[in-house]
Amino acid sequence: MPEFENFNLKTTIDCKQGAVRAVRYNVDGTYCLSCGSDKKIKLWNPVSGILLKTYGGHADEVTDAAGSCDSSYIVSASLDKSIIYWDVSTGAPVRRLRSHAGGVRCVCFNEDSSVAISGGRDNAVMCWDIRTRRLDPVQVMKEARDCITTVATNENRIYAASLDGCVRTYDIRVGELTCDKVGEPITYLAQTRDEQCLVAGCQDSVVRLLDCETGGLLSEYKGHCGDDYHIECGILANDAHIVTGSSNGDAFVYDLLETKVLQRIRISDNGGVVHSLATHPKRQEMLFARRRDMYVFSTDLQIEEEQL
Amino acid sequence: MDEEEHLHRFGTPLQPLDKDVVPAKKPVSIEDQVVKDENGKRRFHGAFTGGFSAGFWNTVGSLEGWTPQTFKSSRAEKATPRVQLKPEDFMDNEDLGEFGIAPQGIRTRDEFAKEDEQEQRSGQRRRKLMQPELGVGPIPGVPVLEQLLRPVRDKVAVRILKSMGWKPGQGVGPRQTRKEKRQATARNTREQYLLDHYGVEELPAQKETNGEDSNAEDEDDEDITFAPDDYEPIFYAPKENRFGMSYSGLSRDPVLSKSASSTAKPMQHINLFGQLEEQAKSKQLSIRGQAFGVGAFEEEDEDIYARDDMTRYDFSLADKKPKQKKQQHVQQRHVIDGFSEDKSGAALQKPYAIDLPRDFQARNWLQRRSRFAPMDKERAKKLETATEYKRSGLGRHDLNPDQRAQLLGEQKQEETPVEEQPKRNPFKDRGKSLLERINARTEGFTKAPSTSSSGAFKPFLADEAKQLRYEKFVDSKLTNDTEITELLASMQPVTLSLWDREMEKKEFIQAAKIYRPLVGLMNDRFISEGNVEAEKVKEQEKTPEERKIVMERTKSMWKPTSLLCKRYNIAEPFGGAMLEPEKELKTKPKISVFDYLETSINTKANFQTPSIIPKHIEKPKPKVVEPPALPAPSPPVANEPEKPPTKEEPSKFTFVPKTPLEQAVDESRDKPISEKVDLFKSIFDDSDEEETVEEPPENPAQDKLAALQEALGLPSASTSSAAAHNVLRNTSPPRGIFAALFKPTEEPAPKEPAPPKFAPIEGNKLKISYKSREERLRNDKELAMAEVPPEDIYGPKLPGAFPQKPAASEDRAEASIDAKLQQLWQQHAPKKRKAEKWVEKKSISSSEDSDNSSSDDSSFSDSSGGKAKKSKKSHKSSSSKKSKKSKLKSKKKSKKSDRSKHKSKKKKSKH
Repeated sequence: MPEFENFNLKTTIDCKQGAVRAVRYNVDGTYCLSCGSDKKIKLWNPVSGILLKTYGGHADEVTDAAGSCDSSYIVSASLDKSIIYWDVSTGAPVRRLRSHAGGVRCVCFNEDSSVAISGGRDNAVMCWDIRTRRLDPVQVMKEARDCITTVATNENRIYAASLDGCVRTYDIRVGELTCDKVGEPITYLAQTRDEQCLVAGCQDSVVRLLDCETGGLLSEYKGHCGDDYHIECGILANDAHIVTGSSNGDAFVYDLLETKVLQRIRISDNGGVVHSLATHPKRQEMLFARRRDMYVFSTDLQIEEEQL
Repeated sequence: MDEEEHLHRFGTPLQPLDKDVVPAKKPVSIEDQVVKDENGKRRFHGAFTGGFSAGFWNTVGSLEGWTPQTFKSSRAEKATPRVQLKPEDFMDNEDLGEFGIAPQGIRTRDEFAKEDEQEQRSGQRRRKLMQPELGVGPIPGVPVLEQLLRPVRDKVAVRILKSMGWKPGQGVGPRQTRKEKRQATARNTREQYLLDHYGVEELPAQKETNGEDSNAEDEDDEDITFAPDDYEPIFYAPKENRFGMSYSGLSRDPVLSKSASSTAKPMQHINLFGQLEEQAKSKQLSIRGQAFGVGAFEEEDEDIYARDDMTRYDFSLADKKPKQKKQQHVQQRHVIDGFSEDKSGAALQKPYAIDLPRDFQARNWLQRRSRFAPMDKERAKKLETATEYKRSGLGRHDLNPDQRAQLLGEQKQEETPVEEQPKRNPFKDRGKSLLERINARTEGFTKAPSTSSSGAFKPFLADEAKQLRYEKFVDSKLTNDTEITELLASMQPVTLSLWDREMEKKEFIQAAKIYRPLVGLMNDRFISEGNVEAEKVKEQEKTPEERKIVMERTKSMWKPTSLLCKRYNIAEPFGGAMLEPEKELKTKPKISVFDYLETSINTKANFQTPSIIPKHIEKPKPKVVEPPALPAPSPPVANEPEKPPTKEEPSKFTFVPKTPLEQAVDESRDKPISEKVDLFKSIFDDSDEEETVEEPPENPAQDKLAALQEALGLPSASTSSAAAHNVLRNTSPPRGIFAALFKPTEEPAPKEPAPPKFAPIEGNKLKISYKSREERLRNDKELAMAEVPPEDIYGPKLPGAFPQKPAASEDRAEASIDAKLQQLWQQHAPKKRKAEKWVEKKSISSSEDSDNSSSDDSSFSDSSGGKAKKSKKSHKSSSSKKSKKSKLKSKKKSKKSDRSKHKSKKKKSKH
């Protein structure tokens, strides 16, 4: 177990795209994406804070985005009920996928970025074939009884967290749907790196660690304030710390095992909900979104300096 | 060599040209060219080759030489008058050909020929003036369609004229004497002359056929009358313009337009039939022809067919329309501006008063009656009363607020405090107070006291008695179906039909389901917010420890699509053989409106007529089952005790253990005929007894006959079995043509059995078809002789005296069999001819079949029951032929006794 080091603010980026709805790292964490309420997606260098590209084409607020494994494409979800598959370099929308009956809340790629999975307010999880030019989903899963807040996938499973308080695991290999009922509306879901556990941020201001195999509740992390916000949570690259946003301008870092608060990151004294965050896939680095800004937090200063 | 061997040659090779000889390509000179006809002989010859060939090489002979015609006439064979020879008979083939002197071509028949052709042929002149003016149509010349379409028949007027003795070419009118005719001709010529000189159009000069041929000679011959000459009636065109005579100006119409209006309609119909309608009066500027532009020094336009019209010319620089408007606006006297005076002068018709019946109600019968049309009052009233409950609803909205409040358990709001409340901000206050009140009443709403349905909901308001019954029904809270039925039966009026009762029961059950107040159908679908809130509060009151999250895990089948598996690089679970559970999931959550209505009375099941068989009404069931003529053959009095079984007898054969009679038959099957006497006796005993009055003992005869049949080797068994097995088979005796068709082949009946009084035993009666023709004829005769009132006889009337001859001729085919029969007959029964009666084999077999009747064997001797028995048998063997047979039977029996007559009468009355 490595020693915990406090996170320090590295960069603050004013995204200038209205309220930032989501911040995401790309596959290796060298770039980051911010989804704005001005219907645009912006690609940044999180270290330097340089705007690399703006992707405009959505008709409503962008709620989520994900980069492909080769970082050449972006898929984004929007409240305009569509998913857009972007070409990173040209900034042009390659494909617009429309089948959701409601605004799309979340989107993700599978490992080799051949399938995009989206979940929306229409309670449906849809799998899109990216390889072909098919414009209708490969598969639609409509088991959820409420809005899908997060979709996640690994080699053989698709996870879908819903506001109906369930985490649904679609096991492609087994052909089985496992529904783990938490009971509280789940606002966000993150996978641990070892794919053994799920971190579920719940509506009742509790982050819960769920066991994938048994469906058991491993631990609960309390301390932050969720209120009624859609607050995201995450797990750091070392699989030892859990991080979550808070409604009062803070972010909390919990110890995975001891469930105690390791660090309360004071992002802003002015309040504001820290609703979106992203953890670096490799390093101890995090992105937070609060209001119009994106914050980059990191533990080791040296590396950053070296990079600079 | 090798190459030549491999070559294939087709056809005959040309003669190799000699290299020395230059091919002569000299053209054939004109002198050498000879015109030849199709036979290859020279067509022209003679000095200047001007003559042409005729006949056989210009002779009257033929290839065989010349043979003079022969004429032969004798007293026996008179020479037929010679056929009139036509010139064509003497012509060669080429003369009749296309280029011959009498070409034979296809041409239209006179009826269809063009008029001028017809004229040419008939030499008649057609009236030119009557024809429509040429060239007025869009296409110059004779109207196109008129050329194409020709009436086949004359016009009606012409036909009438012809029938009155008129011939084409004659004039119309009373016959004239020579003198009169001459005068008329002179007048006609004068008129014609005038027309020629001053008429509108140039006229073809009329040919005067018969003028003054023989005027002087027969002047005084007044007796001879002639048809008047045909003359052209002259049509005077009124002159409406101020142009010179017979000048018509340029047409103002565009070329393709026939309308008189200056503005041509775009898609106007082109009148191909010429100008049938009167040409509209020409406007002031109607100028026609090449009037403009040809000056004294100008050349005449080359294009003489050009048709100029006024549309090509502009007459003013300004627009025309305002001018026209101005003209229209000229105020007329006594006429409102914008209207114009009626110039037609149609006199107002005087209205006549009609005496209407007092109760007359005006109605436009032509008007289509629709459901939207207002109803007449009485009907409307009636309907209104009938459907009042619909209008007034089901009683749900009949409550006033007080009643509703009472139902909900509200306290009555005092009026005064409301007024006392400050009026500064009434909306806010009211809103607040309302909200508070509602909140206070939440519990009341959610847990409303379940009032008895009878008080509030009256689904059967229209029918008070029914409503009362319904209330009682609801109060009883019965669930058992039979109990409900009993309860309702106790309340329902006697007059209510069973079907209505059933329906009412269903309605009540339905209504009780639907109108459950608050605990009703919808209640389990919705949750009141109050309940939810209460739960929330409870939950919040709990300590965090209390509401510990309990993880639940449920697993279910889920089939990933094959493409998804491919993309994930995963083999499909179970090799893709998973069932598709998606559809179940899809259909389940869907909530349909019809789910709620499934209990409705309007389902298909409810519309099935309840199967109630009323007990008190006895249905005439057997009538339906039986063919209508069934009970006919049995005498009503005698059969009284045995009738019911007859009726209920199934039409199908049922195999019942063999009766003694049957056994006897079986036993005797292999016995020689002589030994079978007993059997036959047992079978036909009853009839003997019955008919002893009229008939001599016939048993020996039967015996003989049976023996005879046996000797003939008739296939009795096979026929009977066929009848037995094939129930549907029509075993009725062949009738009409079929009688003639089937009889000879099937039944070689004895020719001279001649039982003088034909009294068929019952068994025999059924097999009428197998009777020989003669016998039948005889029967008919007897029938005719018998004094039967005509109303007792059915079927077509029989001829009085039936000719015997045709029967004999028809039976010629069976002559050989007959001869054989005769022989046999003489052998067996030469003495007892008269008393004999023949029995068919079939009757025996039928007795075998009639197993059902065996139980009544003893009653065979019964004089009254015998017939019934036989009729029964007949039912078995052929139920379908009953009616017919009964008729026949009745005919035969009619002569016998009063009883039988009576029977037949009865039968008739039954029909």
